[in-house]
Amino acid sequence: MTAYVIPLIFLTVLIITFVKRKNGYSVFVDGSKSALSLMAEVFPYLLTVMMAVELFRASGVSAAVSSAVEPVMNFFGIPKELTELILVRPLSGAGALAVLDNIYTLYGTDTYVGLCASIIYGSSETIFYVSSIYFSKSDIKNLRYSIPVALIATFTGCVLGCFVMKLM
Amino acid sequence: MNVIWFLILVSGTVAMLFTDPDGAIRAMLTGSGNAVTLAMTLIATYGFWLGFFALMDKTGVSDFIAKILKPVIRLLFKDADDKTRKYISMNISANLLGLGNASTPMGINAINSMNKGAKYATTDMIMLVVISATSLQLIPSTVIGMRIAHGSNAPTAFLLPCMLSTVTSTVVGVMLVKLFSRIFGEKPRERKKKKAATPSGAAFSPPVLLTPRPAAKSDLSSKGGKA
Repeated sequence: MTAYVIPLIFLTVLIITFVKRKNGYSVFVDGSKSALSLMAEVFPYLLTVMMAVELFRASGVSAAVSSAVEPVMNFFGIPKELTELILVRPLSGAGALAVLDNIYTLYGTDTYVGLCASIIYGSSETIFYVSSIYFSKSDIKNLRYSIPVALIATFTGCVLGCFVMKLM
Repeated sequence: MNVIWFLILVSGTVAMLFTDPDGAIRAMLTGSGNAVTLAMTLIATYGFWLGFFALMDKTGVSDFIAKILKPVIRLLFKDADDKTRKYISMNISANLLGLGNASTPMGINAINSMNKGAKYATTDMIMLVVISATSLQLIPSTVIGMRIAHGSNAPTAFLLPCMLSTVTSTVVGVMLVKLFSRIFGEKPRERKKKKAATPSGAAFSPPVLLTPRPAAKSDLSSKGGKA
């Protein structure tokens, strides 16, 4: 059903453009013009975050940190196999997808571990990426409590999701 | 951000010194390469959605969406003006549809339009970042696709707890931002050493800071009256 939603919205807007006699072509060109300059602003942040994340994974530090915090995860009822997923997820979408793929291969998709992994990936975002990109065009450097709050909130959601999954 | 980035780089490089001395630079260059690949994809995504958002803007569709979401946005964002509210509503609706990358340009625009020259994130900005970063996503299509690819018997079996989880995270996030804005106020606590040195701190006069809420409300209602 959801496959229809976005094309239908698109179609509606196109029809309204036609009915209101707007020059859709030139409006679209004008809008997409800003994509390149936007990327020019965003790119340095993208690169700075992603090169650090790659080092974090490749050096094995993420695996080491994962095994260190396993007891904490166990305490909250999250399977210890998912620690690395929880750690990498806020940092990098592509990195977390690789971890998720690995979990599916190792434990299967329909086991408790596989289902919990799906919940964790599906209900969270790349927090660090979002918060640095959103401020990339402004000169604000002090994000105050945004990242801790987003992390705590996401973790709470994951814990609850895994708990409910256990009951089902 | 700075501290975490620093810790990751130092620990990663040190660990690599013991295991694979060449690896550290190689990994960082791989990461940079990934950033370029992602940037290319994102230019296409941004280009398309910015074009489409321009259409929505010109036809008045975005004003319509902003109008629908107005009560919610007003409740969450105290100081948002009309333009900001429009960006926020586009950002939130794109997020709801699972179009994370399409929502990014609108998020950046919203932050810019909220920015009145302060050096720190305002409560409204934090609220927007937290809402986006806790991803109120209704259909996690990536995960479903991946589960199907791995031959799952029930690709959507996780959806109910997943939705519960994403809703909980957003609700908890919003409540924490509300709570923290009460506790910490609108302005970050300055370190004592810097206090005398930074003139930017003096630019915000205390009377304005003490009454941000009533001022914001009257501002909103006057603007709402015009619209």
